[in-house]
Amino acid sequence: MKRAPYPIEPDTSGKNYWRSVDEFEKSPSFAEDLTREFPEGAAEAPQGTSRRGFLAIMGASMALGGLAACRRPEEVIVPYTRAPEEIVPGRPLFFSTAMPILGTAIGLVVETHEGRPTKIEGNPRHPESLGATNSFVQASVLDLYDPDRSQSPQEKGEARTWDDASVFLRKLGDDAKKKNGKGLAVLVEDHRSPTVAAQLDALLKLMPEARVVRYEAFGRDVTEEAARIAFGKALVPVYDFGEADVVVSLDADFLLNEGSVVKNVRAFADRRNPDRKDKPMNRFYAIESSFSVSGTSADHRMRLQSHKIPALAYALAQEIAAAAKVELPADITSALGGAGALDPDATKLVKAIAADIAKRNGAALIVVGRKQPAAVHALFHAVHRAIGAVGKTVKLVRPFDEVKGGPAEIAALGKDLQAGTIDTLIVLGGNPAFNAPADVRDAITKAKTLVHVGTHVDETGKAAAWHLNRAHALESWGDVRSEDGTGAIVQPLIAPLYGGKTDAEILEIFLGGTRKGYDLVRASWRGAQSLVADFERDFRRALHDGLWKDSAFPAETADLDAAKVGAAIKAQKAVAPKGDLEVIFDPDPHTWDGRYANNGWLQEMPDPMAKLTWGNVASLSPKTARGLGVVDGDLVNVSANGATVTLPALVAPGLADGTILVTVGQGRSVVGRVGKNIGVDTGSLRTSAAFHVADGVSITKAGGSTKLSRTQEHFLTEGRPLVLEASFAKYQANPQVVPQPKKYLSLFEERNYDKGHAWGMTIDLAACVGCNACSIACQAENNIPIVGAEGVQKSREMHWMRMDRYFEGDLDNPTSVSQPMMCVHCENAPCEEVCPVAATTHSPEGLNEMTYNRCIGTKYCANNCPFKVRRFNYFDYTKDTIEQHKMQMNPDVTVRSRGVMEKCTYCVQRINRAKISAKAEGRERLRDGEVVTACQAACPAQAIHFGDLNDKQSEVAKRAAGPRGYKLLEELNVRPRTSYLAKIKNPNPELEGA
Amino acid sequence: MTTAALQEDTPGKRAPLVLGHRDFNAVTETVAGIVEKKTTPSWLVLLGLAVSVLLILLGSLGKLAAEGLGIWGLNNTVFWAWDITGFVFWIGIGHAGTLISAILFLFRQKWRTSINRAAEAMTIFAVMSAAIYPVFHVGRVWFAYWLFPIPNQMSMWPNFKSPLLWDVFAISTYATVSILFWYVGLVPDLATLRDRATTKVRSIVLGIFSLGWRGSHRNWLNYEKTYLILAGLSTPLVLSVHTIVSFDFAVSIMPGWHTTIFPPYFVAGAIFSGFAMVVSLMVLARKAYGLEGLITIKHLENMNKIILLTGTMVGYAYAIEYFIAWYGGNEYERFAFINRAFGPYKWAYWTMWSCNVFSPQLFWFKRIRTSIPAMFVISIFVNIGMWFERFVIIVTSLHRDYIPSSWTYFRPSLFDISTFLGSFGLFFTLFLLFLRFLPAVAISEVKGVMPQADPHAGHGDDHGHDAHDDHHEEASAKSDESEDESEDEGDEGDEASEGDAEKDEEESRG
Repeated sequence: MKRAPYPIEPDTSGKNYWRSVDEFEKSPSFAEDLTREFPEGAAEAPQGTSRRGFLAIMGASMALGGLAACRRPEEVIVPYTRAPEEIVPGRPLFFSTAMPILGTAIGLVVETHEGRPTKIEGNPRHPESLGATNSFVQASVLDLYDPDRSQSPQEKGEARTWDDASVFLRKLGDDAKKKNGKGLAVLVEDHRSPTVAAQLDALLKLMPEARVVRYEAFGRDVTEEAARIAFGKALVPVYDFGEADVVVSLDADFLLNEGSVVKNVRAFADRRNPDRKDKPMNRFYAIESSFSVSGTSADHRMRLQSHKIPALAYALAQEIAAAAKVELPADITSALGGAGALDPDATKLVKAIAADIAKRNGAALIVVGRKQPAAVHALFHAVHRAIGAVGKTVKLVRPFDEVKGGPAEIAALGKDLQAGTIDTLIVLGGNPAFNAPADVRDAITKAKTLVHVGTHVDETGKAAAWHLNRAHALESWGDVRSEDGTGAIVQPLIAPLYGGKTDAEILEIFLGGTRKGYDLVRASWRGAQSLVADFERDFRRALHDGLWKDSAFPAETADLDAAKVGAAIKAQKAVAPKGDLEVIFDPDPHTWDGRYANNGWLQEMPDPMAKLTWGNVASLSPKTARGLGVVDGDLVNVSANGATVTLPALVAPGLADGTILVTVGQGRSVVGRVGKNIGVDTGSLRTSAAFHVADGVSITKAGGSTKLSRTQEHFLTEGRPLVLEASFAKYQANPQVVPQPKKYLSLFEERNYDKGHAWGMTIDLAACVGCNACSIACQAENNIPIVGAEGVQKSREMHWMRMDRYFEGDLDNPTSVSQPMMCVHCENAPCEEVCPVAATTHSPEGLNEMTYNRCIGTKYCANNCPFKVRRFNYFDYTKDTIEQHKMQMNPDVTVRSRGVMEKCTYCVQRINRAKISAKAEGRERLRDGEVVTACQAACPAQAIHFGDLNDKQSEVAKRAAGPRGYKLLEELNVRPRTSYLAKIKNPNPELEGA
Repeated sequence: MTTAALQEDTPGKRAPLVLGHRDFNAVTETVAGIVEKKTTPSWLVLLGLAVSVLLILLGSLGKLAAEGLGIWGLNNTVFWAWDITGFVFWIGIGHAGTLISAILFLFRQKWRTSINRAAEAMTIFAVMSAAIYPVFHVGRVWFAYWLFPIPNQMSMWPNFKSPLLWDVFAISTYATVSILFWYVGLVPDLATLRDRATTKVRSIVLGIFSLGWRGSHRNWLNYEKTYLILAGLSTPLVLSVHTIVSFDFAVSIMPGWHTTIFPPYFVAGAIFSGFAMVVSLMVLARKAYGLEGLITIKHLENMNKIILLTGTMVGYAYAIEYFIAWYGGNEYERFAFINRAFGPYKWAYWTMWSCNVFSPQLFWFKRIRTSIPAMFVISIFVNIGMWFERFVIIVTSLHRDYIPSSWTYFRPSLFDISTFLGSFGLFFTLFLLFLRFLPAVAISEVKGVMPQADPHAGHGDDHGHDAHDDHHEEASAKSDESEDESEDEGDEGDEASEGDAEKDEEESRG
């Protein structure tokens, strides 16, 4: 224990220790005992050095000793006198928890080192995760340590204590109770917490005139609205892509940002496996306005402006009914009647899709995106029902709660706020002053008493009378239910770094209670009788497993209200679009709706298509751009709904002509250090009436241009055999779709790797959708720094794992593939030969290793790397790492200094950890699957496999030796250890050659 | 005088290597005078300029060491650019010096004598300028010494497979031998300066550096042997250094680098650029110091002929690269070469062609290769072109290699430019100091090639060439600097002034 306790801020170090004791107190194994031992209030710092003070400091040392704080101890530190159970310094512990995301919740397993959560993995038991995650989840661990989070409650910008805040909240609650809640509104996020939902119910009971409104800038409101139309209640469709032989997407990016994406990718990718015997490869048609990540996986993709898709959808519904010989309800048929004429290509596609679906006996799924009107969503409820997909690919479950959400709701709230009928607004998470529709966002700040609960002082927090600092999901007790109802406990991995409280705790204070988060959660699940036999046992199990067993909602049946659906369709048809140009709004790939604006990993994560970082653009199709005479980076004025925004243009192949894609979430004005002056706020273009698609828009060249920060500049393969591709039909006829590997001669004597392990990796391009989860997982695992917009502009990004994007075919309407790329660990590594100081060498197991201590930075290795996967520390990127961020660092991975080269290590720290465990168990060899690299673990598509190539039974060896396995640049005879598996597409023969 | 030189350059009859009807003493006076005269204001101005530029270099390198390589324009695809371009550029320039002093010495090309000293100095200063880059282009400059095989506690040897390590040996050997060679050649001249020294300090300092030279026969014998041995040692270095530098590229697997033609191509290019630099500098120096009689048009013309030859060789190399790229059937290599000529860096590529291949072809015309302004301009063009050649090889090969997703476009930063510019500051500072403080022309060697030094020369045509120094060996002819030795004559001058000079000399001897 010679290391200093972790110093967060030197001047307030005493206070920090108290937080740390708190952490210790709340660590799962000790939480209960300790709370009992030290009753409430006893944990306050006594003055002077008392016995309790001594114990406290000792506790702090225990909890924080051994952290990577390379400083001389400033205070007396004491080693463990009795080791806490389970804690072995140097060995991580894993705790299960969960996190709400994208209108659902995902189960997680979090790696902690000596009390610091450092890495998030998916929980394999949780149906929303199955072990995988996405980039936002991966990056949220960085948000936890964000030094720009608010550090205390604030009253009009002045720091206050939680005591002050509690006094205020209680009084606010008491006043509201007296008025029966009149004039009070609570604005919630898609929080998914049954505890919070129960408290909101309690609030409404106590204050019946209060209003609870849900708002998400990119939520599932259209789906909800459609269900209300079709079924009269907000039933939630839960899709099972694993059962769908045919998938049709109508403007839905269900693999990246709509619905339960992690689950979707997993199930979808499972059906893209051409080697699967039980279920054949699926076929995927995408009709969409922007080129989405889902669209890149499509076998057939048609680009069509969002406002034109309903017409195609109506025709499709009719064709499906006709082809499958099923009847749609009469009201719907009549409403559809006379669907507008489609152009020949669309007609052909629609007919082919319908014929394809008709053959599948209900094993089909038509996913409608949020940019489509509710009528289209409702229509496909009817279609799913008619073709027998309900129960097969679609399950309807009851909604999580009855709170209404959506642009209309918040617009109504905005009106009331303007009118003054609502004077008290509690914003429970979220940042409506930034991302609410343009017609509402000013109204939010009009509330007489605005209370903002959030992790950061953002636009809303700044305007609020009171800002209450919220605990991050990784530091709070809570609970969540995912889309299908599966419940999970959110358990803290660390005591709140800045003393934040959870939504539930804040509501508790507001309602006059005193319970803490832990008690609230327990109380709320104690009530869930159906799940609980022995509460203590079951609660512990739920904590351990990360979910409540069998807690998913049962499937519901509901009658379809055909008349209402028909009416909705008619109403939709009656609306004529203004003009041919449209603006479509997507969540920003970096910040979602602005919430991750201060997250450097996400800001620097290249978006999946354009590879843009640090900013946002107006994407235009090549033809639209030509018409305007703009090229990448030229500034354009986009006007919609009476507002004009100037932002750089980006020419996006595959976008529908006449569609302008604008992302919302950049250009935050009140934000931390990372997000400052990044991007343009486009929120003013978006109104509650034109929430996802705006018509009657215009775009003009503004003059001037900016440099875009993109990580890739060239998107063509130049005919090089990098991504090999074949059709499913061809593959079935002859699986050897890639050239047979050749044996090349070597000048040097070749090293023999037959003995021991031979680590290798396979990446299945048929499965990979290009979602970037791996890339951020790698960043989190390997302490990879960010380089900022300027660094990206100079092509100096440090990502060990990058996602290459290539377009093929017609510039206007291309197809596209993505290819994950990182060090392929060549057996004849060209980098090793040329390093003058032998800093990069080969391990006996075939790893191409970097010895950072030895590297002097000649960069010759990187020049000689044909894959260009080596990354150089041009500056001391980690020098200014903020203390809090250091807590995120993985202690098993060296933090690299300036002037050294680095690159993918195949997660050598994980290999070594597994080896140590195996050795402890007396085994010489590791078992297949014992080492899981960070990228592999995160990949929702299970495209990445890692293991021992010498073990012929291992998954990776079988895959690498399979007919689809090929190595990049094989003719160089560098012998990569990473193999790619050829991409297989499954085009419809009827549309071939079309 | 130019015309005189031309007239005398007739077949069957060699042009005199020293013009201006000088005698031995005149040579001594001309060369030593530069060193002994008062510092001229123009020299001070030039030195001030050079030192200012040198300060830019020091500032740039200081910032580089303090902040990191990020201040340059390098990126994740182009990890070497102006740094290694500058390195190869300077190393290449150095080659002329060694070639002139060693190879031409072995081939008894006597015309080398008036330019070899300056060319050797140029070599050393160029190598010093070049050495900036291998040291400072590494990420952790404080560990640059790890490149040397120094025994250490880690028991780590460098990687002997790496061409960069070969570079270290090649360059350090080259620098050592060049300095030795230069210094050995300087010893007799330093002794001359010592003997002419008017102050105590000067005489002591020069006395130390002239190693007790007495001009005795034994001295001359040892000197000649040493010089010959060093010339022998240097000769392979002329070929090996740039061969090894070219291995930095040829041994790699990058298309555009991985080419077997590189060694001869680089050596030819190095000599080409070196001679161009010598011409540029000599044209200026001979004018500035009135050395027209020693560094004659004939010398410059000879160098221009070499420039023409090597320039043509370089052009051939450029062409054959294309042939091989096509004939080799390697699609990546083919692309690399098409990309060079027609890709984003085509401007650099065609600059290279225009400067290196087209412009020296003008030297086919005698009028051009003997015209001072023309050769100066062309030599500058060649220097520019050779910089671009290295830039083209390094950057265009790297910026678009195997995987198109990594393709980038390299743009230099201010500090790339300032570092390269600053290296000229170092070079010119050293060169100016050299011109001022050391004999810029090898006094003893020039005397050796003067007609007076040749006992059999001038039967008939050198009317005044007496036989009274017939007993002198060529070697001893050089030993005039020891004033007691009787060196004399230069009596081909029949003008009055020359006669006066002779008289003066007689007087002084008397």
